[in-house]
Order: sequence, then structure tokens, then C-alpha cells
Amino acid sequence: MTPLSRDKQDTLLLIASSLLVLVPHAAHLPPWVSLLCGATLAWRAGVTLLGRRMPSNVILVPIAAAAMFGVLHSYHTLLGRDAGVAMLVLLVAFKMLEMHARRDLFVVVFLCYFLVLTNFFYSQTIPTALLMLVSLVALLATQLSFQLTGAVPPLRTRLWMGAKLLGLALPLAGAAFVLFPRVEGPLWGMPDDAHSARSGLSDTMSPGQMSNLAQSEDVAFRVKFDGAPPPQPQLYWRGPVLGSYDGRTWTRIRPSRHVRPQPLSLSVGGKPLGYQVTLEPSNTRWLFALEMPRALPAVPGHDVALSGELEIQTLAPIAERVRYDLVSYVHYNLQPEASPVDGQWLTLPYGINPRARAEGQATANEPDPARRVAAVLREFSQGGFVYTLQPPLLPGPDAVDDFLYGTRAGFCEHYAGAFVFLMRAAGVPARVVTGYQGGDLNPLDGYLTVRQSDAHAWAEVWLPRQGWVRVDPTAAVAPERVRRSLARALPAPAPFGLEGLGRLLQPDPDSLLGRIRYMFGAVNNGWNQWVLNYTPQRQQNLVQRLQEGLSHWQSLALIGMLCLVLFLVRKFSLRQKTDPADALYSVLCQRLGQLGLPRAPDEGPTAYASRIEARSFADAGLTPEQSAAATEFLRRYSAYRYGPQSPGTGLLSTLRDLLSRVR
Amino acid sequence: MARPKGWPMRWLHRKRALWRTKATARDTGSVLLSQRRVYILPTRAGLGFCALLLVLLVGSINYSLGLGFGLTFVAGACALVDMVQTTRNLAGLVLSPGRAPDVFAGEDAPFELRVENPTRLPRYAVWIDFEHEREPRQAVDVTAGGSTTLVLRTPTRTRGWMRPPRVRLSTRFPLGLFRAWSWWQPDSRALVYPFPEQDAPPLPMTGRPSPDGVGSTGSDDFAGVRSYQPGDPMRYLAWRQIARLDPALGGQLVTKHFEGGTVDELVLDFDALPPRLDEELRLARMARWVLEAEQRALPYAFRLGRIRYDSALGAAHQAACLRALALYGLPEGTA
Repeated sequence: MTPLSRDKQDTLLLIASSLLVLVPHAAHLPPWVSLLCGATLAWRAGVTLLGRRMPSNVILVPIAAAAMFGVLHSYHTLLGRDAGVAMLVLLVAFKMLEMHARRDLFVVVFLCYFLVLTNFFYSQTIPTALLMLVSLVALLATQLSFQLTGAVPPLRTRLWMGAKLLGLALPLAGAAFVLFPRVEGPLWGMPDDAHSARSGLSDTMSPGQMSNLAQSEDVAFRVKFDGAPPPQPQLYWRGPVLGSYDGRTWTRIRPSRHVRPQPLSLSVGGKPLGYQVTLEPSNTRWLFALEMPRALPAVPGHDVALSGELEIQTLAPIAERVRYDLVSYVHYNLQPEASPVDGQWLTLPYGINPRARAEGQATANEPDPARRVAAVLREFSQGGFVYTLQPPLLPGPDAVDDFLYGTRAGFCEHYAGAFVFLMRAAGVPARVVTGYQGGDLNPLDGYLTVRQSDAHAWAEVWLPRQGWVRVDPTAAVAPERVRRSLARALPAPAPFGLEGLGRLLQPDPDSLLGRIRYMFGAVNNGWNQWVLNYTPQRQQNLVQRLQEGLSHWQSLALIGMLCLVLFLVRKFSLRQKTDPADALYSVLCQRLGQLGLPRAPDEGPTAYASRIEARSFADAGLTPEQSAAATEFLRRYSAYRYGPQSPGTGLLSTLRDLLSRVR
Repeated sequence: MARPKGWPMRWLHRKRALWRTKATARDTGSVLLSQRRVYILPTRAGLGFCALLLVLLVGSINYSLGLGFGLTFVAGACALVDMVQTTRNLAGLVLSPGRAPDVFAGEDAPFELRVENPTRLPRYAVWIDFEHEREPRQAVDVTAGGSTTLVLRTPTRTRGWMRPPRVRLSTRFPLGLFRAWSWWQPDSRALVYPFPEQDAPPLPMTGRPSPDGVGSTGSDDFAGVRSYQPGDPMRYLAWRQIARLDPALGGQLVTKHFEGGTVDELVLDFDALPPRLDEELRLARMARWVLEAEQRALPYAFRLGRIRYDSALGAAHQAACLRALALYGLPEGTA
């Protein structure tokens, strides 16, 4: 195959680098856009390779118009974010077929830069960032190739040039990233489709919902404690509190307009726990806190409210990663004095679950509510109940009965639901609390990661003088669930029927795999904290800390030392480049020049030596010994510089010696 | 109070004056393009890139894209690195003038220029041309530690010494977002001969009348051989000498040379030309005659003012005559 002409090579490189930018978009574009785009690029490549003419506008314009119509049809708009991205992708592809001048090249390359940005709407992970760097190298190499005129270095060299350029830019970009004043977005109203739905805890609970969520490894939020994190069994992250049951689904009790909300009375004790939560975008309004927070958290850009059940909510759904600081107490008394209003925490739907209701009513003979609770828990722990992620389905109308007296296998949602049902039947005010339990502490960076799989449901019962008390019926069945983590509480899965493989995949913190997992977790979290969620507030903190750090004389001295070392290294490396013999020679010439015997610019050492010899050194005030040394120096230097054989060892020291004698 | 207000302006003034002298100063010998001599401005694409950066930044802010900020800053930093690299693509080059052969007025004068790269950084896509050319016509690449020579042509109009116009070097490498340029006045000159008159009258055969007619060379006394010149009659070729050395092996065609005889003395005398003619026209006619005499291998004497050359023939004689014509009437050492 004959080598391609430069034009063709450059065009193919441009196609390749734009492909690199376009491919990630295929994940979220309608298939026909990706296909059309691919076909257009293939067309362009064919035109280049076969040396055909570019298609005329008569063909291009109708296709472009049809594509536009297609976008309108697919998205029902041309203005939204996704539709805009689709149009941009098509524009880049079509522009390739309409490239004539160098200006058009820049248009395509610049559009590609913008497409790299739009890809971040959909993904901002570390791999995306790496792909961005690779695309940038390709784009830079392309841009650079189009600037070349005569000699064209091989593609590898050009890519290397691009990479070098990028490498030089990165430190600068890093500094700008940290120090460039950040503005809190958005600057204007965002399109409606700016945030797509994400999984998370909902404000209802029905069978199967939690166990579905428990299979998701998505991160719900991360927590950094100011001190040591409390033990695993105390990590109950309260979310929605559900009080209304329809036989199938637990839902929140809407604040009734007729009932005045009870004043919250909360007394706390014990050591306060300070921590910072970084909540992943969930598109819901829930904020999670450890047990009883001392004050409402401040969330930038959101208004936060507290409900009567001590749920923390924002007014608008949270569509971006947010960070808030909290101080919580694990020992508390919530509304110990007043009995819960209106018996809304006691109501049960009529006509369902007769056995459970009867059993509850039987328990009510016991006068102490705390003992009624203990009795039910005892039954849970001793009644042969099984904790499983894949419980048998309970399609009947009496789901609680079927569970308690039939299958006896369930997930936290079953236990919490059945428990609250039993308690209410026994006349103890009770409610279901959903949220997360536990979390995975990364020993490397001290961050506790709470995943969707940590979603949990437990119960709260109201006891006289104690108020609302947390009871976790799941813990009675599977204590490991609360003590360690969900993954350990469940039997190890066996992929492909191999037990060992399943155990290998278990996140054992001591195994190599576990450590690698933690490392990835730490890197990922650092990424989220420092790159994706680098808020003006965080920037302010960092700059302040930098200023404080720089104001110490030690750090200033350190920086000064570093500069000095760099300077010396540079100077030294520059000096290394010149031959030491040359350096000595120039010193000698300088010295003789000061004595009135300057060397003419076109004079070699031999000619110089003979000239100054003729002009008698004595005129210049040199002793005969000095002049002999100077002549000898010049002779030796000349022999070294222009002589055929390599110099013997010790030339430098001889020269230095002679030079010192001239001085 | 006026002093602090005025000093920036004064400073600017001084800088501009310095810049002007530097920009127009003539460089002697070879010259190093130092960083200070390299000027740089963004190109149109560079301005476009600036707008792109703004769009990227606004997009990142609006959608709170952490990675978008990263992209924006990386792209911006790339532009800055490009600025430095574009400057460095030019700075550090050593330029020196090369040969500048003599030409006739009206022809393009070729100036040889040598571009040397003593650094370890290879230079790509350096555009070089005279300042007056709107679009540079030549681009060179200079490998690390290498050098390259190129020839720039510029039209000539008047005779005499000619200095090449200022040379502009420019580059947009690597990214094309910036254009760095520098000026260089090469210290060389080309001699421009007068334009040889078209349709000039025949050679003036003065001196003794010849029985053989006008314009023939003497052929009486064989005086040796000389190298062949176009126009020598075939019968005068020294075949015996030619046969001894094959021209393919470096031998030369030689012509027998005769002296004496009935040759007319061909004297090209400026003063003998009709004085009513324009001076330049007379010079042009002389130039034509010199060429014609050379072509026909007629030895000719040359008189121009105080310059008197005896009758002779050959490249050196021709060059001396044309040089005298080119510099006639011009003050010594004019450039």
C-alpha cells in the first residue's frame, strides 16, 4: 500500500480524534443518531481514502435537515440539554463533510472540545477524566499536525508532542483549578432534563422494595467523622418515618391540617458526634443524619426543614452532590412526656392479618409496654426466622400473617413492618423508620461509605417516660446485620455455583482484594470531594489554610530553599553542557584580556599563543614563569581541541594547574 | 503630581522608541533571534479558542461540572503552553545571510539565507519571507542542531547595490492559536546590473577599417586555446585537445584563440554614445553590447568615464564591465 498523502493522513487523524470524543456519547444518544454519525464519519473516511470529491450541499442540506427533524421527533424539542448534545454530535459529523479551509478544521476541533464537556453531563468518573486526557492528546496532535509544513514527524512523535504539551499544561491547570475563583451555579435556569432519575430510598415501603435497593452498590452518601466513628451498631442513619399502613405499603403520615403538630421535645445526653456528610444526588428531598442531630444542617443552595418526626428535608429535590456538617447525639429522649397524638401511631387497617392482630392483642395483657416489645423480639429471635435477600413472595392479602406464620423468611422491611403491626395490635404506639444502617469504613482515608445496599428499615416504639425508642427487629433475627454489615450477614453468593469465588468477592477488609477495594474507594471519594464537588466554600477553606501555611517562616524558608536548589541545579546542568576544558580556556582568555592581551574573535589558541609570545609577556607584567604556563596551557588546549588523538587522563587537572600559575 | 501620572506614558514612549530602533536596526553578520526579538499575538483561531474557553467555563459553572472546570483549565493552560512553545519555536534561531549573486535589473534577485538551530529543540513550520509579501512563500523545518539554507527572491528595478528588504520570520506551530514573528535585516547586498537594452543597435565597430568586414575576429595567428563559450564557431574548436579529455570525465570544450590579424578593435565607449540619449538608456545599451560581445566572443575594450579596460574577453571581464555600469554615477559605497 502506498503511503497516504499528508492531507489524507491529517484528515484521518482528525476523524480518529473526533471519534474518540463522539464514542462516549453513544451511551446516551438514540441509536439512530450514533448510527448516522458513524455512517457520516465512515463516508468522510471513504472520501479521503479513495480520493473522491466531497458531497455537494445539495445532498448534505436535506440530510442535515432530516437529522434535525429526527432530533425533534426523538426529544420533542430542540432546546433541551440532551437534544442540544445530539444536535452538536450531528453537527460535528456533518461538518467533517463540509471542511474546506483551515478555519473549518478549527471549527471541528473546537466543537470537539465542547463535546468533551457535554459528556460530563452524563459521567464524571475517573475513567471519564482519563478518557478526556486521551482525547485531548489526540486533539492536540491533530491541531499540531495541521500546522506542520514540510517535515512531518511520525504519528507517534506527534502524539508524544501533544502529550508533552498537555503534561506541561497540567500543573498550571491544577493550580487554576484550585485557585480560580469559583462561582456557585447555575447562572440561569437549567433545562428540565438536566438531571435524570437516580435510585435511592423512597418515602414508601412495600415488600421487595428494600431488597431491590440492597442489591445496588451505588453510594448513597459518605461520612467523615471529626473523631473516631462510633461502633457499627450505633450507625442508624434516620430517613423517612412511615406510619400509615394499607396492608401492603407503609407510607408517611401527611401532616393533617386538623391536628396541631405536637411540640418537639428532645433532650439529649452523652458525647456529641461531629461529622460531615457528602450526599450523592438522589433526586429526593431527604437528608440523612445519625440519630438525633443538634441543629439543622446548612446545605448551600437549599432550604432545610424539620418534620414532626425528626426527618430532615430540603424543599427542592437534591440534584447535585451536597455536603453538610452535623452534630448528633446517640443518647436521647424524644417526646418522653406526652403520649403520641390521636392514636395515629396505633391505627391498623381492618380485616387483614387476623392472626397477627390476635397475637398482638394477646400480648397486650402484659401491662408493661417494654415487656411487650421484648416478648415480640424474643419470638423473632427464637421462632426460626431467616434473614434473606431473596424472600418468598407474599402475594396474599394477609402479608404479615403469611410472613409470621408461613414463610418466616424475610428482609428488614418484612421484620420492621411485621413488628410495627404487632406492636400496634398490642397497643404500643409504633412506626417504621427507614434509612441506612452501618457503612463501610475505609481505613485509608477515614471516610465511611454508606451504599444503597445499606438501606435498612427498623421500628420506633413509644414508651412512657422514655419517649420514642428505637427497636430493630432485624437485629433480633440476624444480629450480624447490625454488628458488621449486610454483606457479612447474608450467606456468601456463589457465582457460577462456586462458593470459593463468592468468598473471594466478599469485601474482606484484610484480604488483598479488600485492600484494593478500599484504595479504589478512597481514590474515588477523594475525586468526588476534591474534583467534582470543589465548592467556593471548600476553596475558601483551602486558600485560607494555604495562607496560614505560607505565613510560617519555616514554610517560607522551605520554599526559598527549593528555589535555590532549582536555581543551582539549572545552573549546574547548564555548566555541564560546556566542555570543562573550554570553560578553563575562556577563563584564561579573560585573564590575559585583563592584562592587555585580548584574544581576537577569529583567533585560535595556537595563533593566539604565538602572537602573545611574540609580544613578550613581560609587557603585560607577567613573569617568565607565568608566561611559560600560559603558552603551555594554550598548546595543550589546542592539542586537545584540534589534535587527532584523544587526550590523556589528567588533562583537566594539568590545565587547572597551569591556569592557577598564570594567576 | 504630574510625575506619577506621566511615568507610564513616558515609559511606554521610551519602550516604543527602543522597539522601533530595534525593529529597524540592521543586523550585521549572523544574528541570534533572542526571546526579546520575538513578538507574539493570538491568531484568529486563538481568539476563537478564547471564546471557546469562556463557553466551557460558563457551561461548567452553570451545570456545576467539576470535571468541566478541569477541562476548561487544562485547555486554557494548553493555550498558554502553546504561546510559550510558539515563541520558543522562533527564539534561539541563528540567521546569517548567504550568497547574493549579481542580477540584471528587472530580474528577481535571489538572496540566500541560512537558518541555523543550535538548540536541542527541533523547529517546525517556520515561515520566512520578505516583509512586503503578504503571505509568506516558504516554510522551513530545522532539526535540532541542524541548519537549512533557503533562497528568497525579490524583484529588482534599479541598478546599483541592492539591500534585501527586511525578512519576516513567523510561526504558528504547534497549535496555531498564536502567531510569533520576528524581523531580520540580512546584512548582504546584491549587485544589480543595468537592464540590457532590447533591440539595441549593432556593436559599434570602431577603429581601423577592416578589409574583412565588420565583426570578425582575427584568425591569423594562433595564440593558444581558451575555454569554449557559447557562440564560438565550430571550426575554431580545438578538437585535438578536446579529444584528449572526455568532457564526461571533466574535460572541457576548448576553442582556438587567435590574435592579431585584421580584427577590428571593438571599443565600447560610453562617451561615444549620442549624449542626447538618456543616461540610463546609454548604460542599458552598453550592457547589451557587453553581453553581445561576450556571446559572439569578440574581445572588447571598455570605457566608462575614468574606467578603462583593455580589450579582453571572459567572465571576469564581463563582470567587471557590468559592475562598472551598475555603479556608474553612484556615490561610493551606496547600498
